Amino acid sequence: MNRLGAAPLALLWALPLLLSLAMLLPAASDGAAWHMALAHPQLWPALALSLATGAVSTLIALAISLLLIGGLSRSAMWNRLQAVAATGLAIPHLAFAIGFGFLIMPSGLIARLFVGGDAPPYWVSVQDPWGVALTLALALKEVPFLLTAGFAVLSRGDAAARLRAEARTAASLGHAPGSAFLRVVLPPLMKELRWPLVIVFVYGATVVDMALVLGPTQPPTLAVVIWHALNNAEPMTNGMGLVMTLLLTGALAIVLAAVALLKRAGRNATHRMLTAGPSLLQRPRATALVIGLAVTAMLALALLVLVLLSLAPRWPYPALLPAAVDASAWMAVSPAPLWLSLLLALAATAVAVASTVLWFETQDRNRDRWVIGLALVALALPQLASAGGQYRLLLPLGLTGTLFGLFLAHLTPVAAYVLIVLAGPYRAFDGRYIAAARALAASQLSAWARVKLPLLKAPLLIAAAIGFAVSIAQFVPAQLIAAGRFSTLPMEAVTLASGGNRPLTAAFALALTVPPLVAFLAAALLGRPRWR
Amino acid sequence: MHLKLTRRSFAGLLGLTPFLSTARAEESWADIEAKARGQTVYFNAWAGSPQVNAYIAWVADELNTRYGIALTHVKLTDTAEAVRRVRDEVRAGKDGSADLIWINGENFHVMKEEQLLFGPFTEDLPNFALVDIDGKPTTRVDFAEGTEGLESPWGMAQLTFFADGAKLDTPPMSMMELLDLAKEEPGRIIYPAPPDFHGNTFIKQALAETIEDRTLLPVSIDKAIFTEASKPLFEYLDQLHPSLWREGKQFPQSQAQVTQMLADGELLMGLTFNPNEPANLVMAGTLPDTTIAWQNRDGSIGNTHFVAIPINSTSTAAAQVTANFLLSPEAQARKADLKLWGDPTVLDMDKLNPSQRALFNHAKVAGSVKKPARTIPEPHGSWVPLLEAAWLERYGA
Repeated sequence: MNRLGAAPLALLWALPLLLSLAMLLPAASDGAAWHMALAHPQLWPALALSLATGAVSTLIALAISLLLIGGLSRSAMWNRLQAVAATGLAIPHLAFAIGFGFLIMPSGLIARLFVGGDAPPYWVSVQDPWGVALTLALALKEVPFLLTAGFAVLSRGDAAARLRAEARTAASLGHAPGSAFLRVVLPPLMKELRWPLVIVFVYGATVVDMALVLGPTQPPTLAVVIWHALNNAEPMTNGMGLVMTLLLTGALAIVLAAVALLKRAGRNATHRMLTAGPSLLQRPRATALVIGLAVTAMLALALLVLVLLSLAPRWPYPALLPAAVDASAWMAVSPAPLWLSLLLALAATAVAVASTVLWFETQDRNRDRWVIGLALVALALPQLASAGGQYRLLLPLGLTGTLFGLFLAHLTPVAAYVLIVLAGPYRAFDGRYIAAARALAASQLSAWARVKLPLLKAPLLIAAAIGFAVSIAQFVPAQLIAAGRFSTLPMEAVTLASGGNRPLTAAFALALTVPPLVAFLAAALLGRPRWR
Repeated sequence: MHLKLTRRSFAGLLGLTPFLSTARAEESWADIEAKARGQTVYFNAWAGSPQVNAYIAWVADELNTRYGIALTHVKLTDTAEAVRRVRDEVRAGKDGSADLIWINGENFHVMKEEQLLFGPFTEDLPNFALVDIDGKPTTRVDFAEGTEGLESPWGMAQLTFFADGAKLDTPPMSMMELLDLAKEEPGRIIYPAPPDFHGNTFIKQALAETIEDRTLLPVSIDKAIFTEASKPLFEYLDQLHPSLWREGKQFPQSQAQVTQMLADGELLMGLTFNPNEPANLVMAGTLPDTTIAWQNRDGSIGNTHFVAIPINSTSTAAAQVTANFLLSPEAQARKADLKLWGDPTVLDMDKLNPSQRALFNHAKVAGSVKKPARTIPEPHGSWVPLLEAAWLERYGA
């Protein structure tokens, strides 16, 4: 039973992934490639920039998310916040970067509103050398993800009941609501947000599309240098890109290890803080409301700007609205590739969730670290690199240009995300519920289906929605494996966007927002606890 | 894995197959057309422009009705993707997923070097006789590398600048005049950072206009000669950069971004490799109809783009018929039409009959280049990595 339970995840996901990565080793062990990488004048400053933008954006996103959860959970705003988070999560990163960029750039909406004049001001507001614009955009874009991961924890049936009881106990001991939140809700929340936070950091430090729009160029982030190198036709330059990938992945691992050590060293201080006597700290409702509205406004404005940009072939400074509206960009959005995208997303999500749940049910939790580690590696590596390995693996097997190969290419990142998002909530499930059900003579299966499944409904639905969204956005591996035999919505979108036509890019970005938006809203709606 | 074929043994295997080697030489064009019927051509082509995609869709329709060929446009963001795919396939001894690739420059060099291309076939194409090989020598020389019949010319490109004539009445017609303009209007001019293709071309143009000994450009050079010969270029760039956008400390990532910044009003001028792109953008409503386009007085860097057939293609006959159709006066004229794409033809007007020539009579429209300048061929390929490295060293971090 145990071995069998691990089989789907191992055979469909872990094994192909490991073999794909192994395909990359020969090129990355080439001495000349190492020499080229280490002699690259941008290597070290670009690496520093990548780590800084990743780390700072993660910290800002975490601070905002905790403030919002602490200030607004169990308030009237809570459900509305879930809808905002769902919308924010559904916007593709690149789309948000374009919308956000058009707000702050010298010829952007803010300058048009508040500066005016014939020519745009000389602002250094996008592509600033310090990566501030990129960091802010990343932080804003990740707030919905962390919030959603937080919802997955807080709206879980078993946890919600326990947390409420514990908060009541804290209140009876004289803790004000804010004080009780810090001591009762925050510790388990942070524990379960650990892996989502790691994803946010890894994503921020390795993102390419957002960095191309908002990031600095001299030097750019290392991910951009790597992207250029891997995109090259010359095998030697590709090898340099792979070496740089190893360096970046290694640096990320070192940072994460350092954070883990720091956390261990700070355990005593945390303990003292948590066990200190009650305080009168209130929930930061007003601050949370202001920050929540600001984040909502930025997301809404970015979306609104995208709609305008998709309809405006020309929108010169300092006009506040485009002179003419033209829907021709939307005409290019064809429905045929959408169906294939939806089919693949549903299949990949279903298989990913089922095999992950099977893993959790049959495997010891000590084994989780291996699959989660592998999932993190899969997400940290630039897709151009891992996709190259995957292509070389599937090619001799005759799976390139087939629907099954395309499915595997989608499953790799989808299963990685589902694993990471689900691990915290699933493993934290209070086993006493099952014990109680079994004591009431329920079979193992019916205890799982009738007790555990409903209680874990929220995190399961959210993990599925995230998996679905990840699948809808897949481009690089899919494009390579499809070898021109199949076309999905992102393939149409990204190839057209490579021409830099802004209305087209905006129209496709919005089209790519709709399916995940439906998924997230459905997850938020269906995932609400039946009891309150 | 017993059937492990290397590139060379795969190529060798093809050569050993007597049917393939002798038949190819004697195959008449009619035979090729007959064989092509019913084949499918996977045309791997950059797809960042709706105009280009629409043109390729038209080609697909025509090939289907005229020759019974099914053409599928495999949409790429970067041609190097197809190069890597073909390389992996040939290494694994697999049939090709690509039958025709839109290609030039470094991607062609790599494929030629690694023997990944089918051919020579180009000069046996019936329509190749119409190509302007004397007036447009780059139809047979791709970035100073002989094509040797391994790729068939498709369209012409030449570095062209453009601006809003309402904001810039006297355009700079040389790199020196560009420097003067930048000093007058600091922060309003920029070029994309190399190794972006257009960024490289801007640098090459500056190189061609500043170098003391122009005879060095078409020849292979080493680092020592490069360092000496590029001194005036870097003196020029050192002077230019402080007057550029962001004082030349940050550079946009792509030509498209420069164009967008021009359209938004943040920049004064843009650059392109398609002389008809400005007119096309006016037509699409992206640029105002006061747009002007020009090429530097003493000529500007130009080249040709091609189509090539991978060595492991299983539809080489249909791919050749496609390449030949792309060279037909009808297809070339349609491609040159500003309303549809505006890609300049590789054909020689003097080799066409009057009715074929008439197909090319498109009216000049706003944003067309007023006075076309002569083409300066691309410098030898050995210049490019040295230029990129030196630029990165000086301005990269």
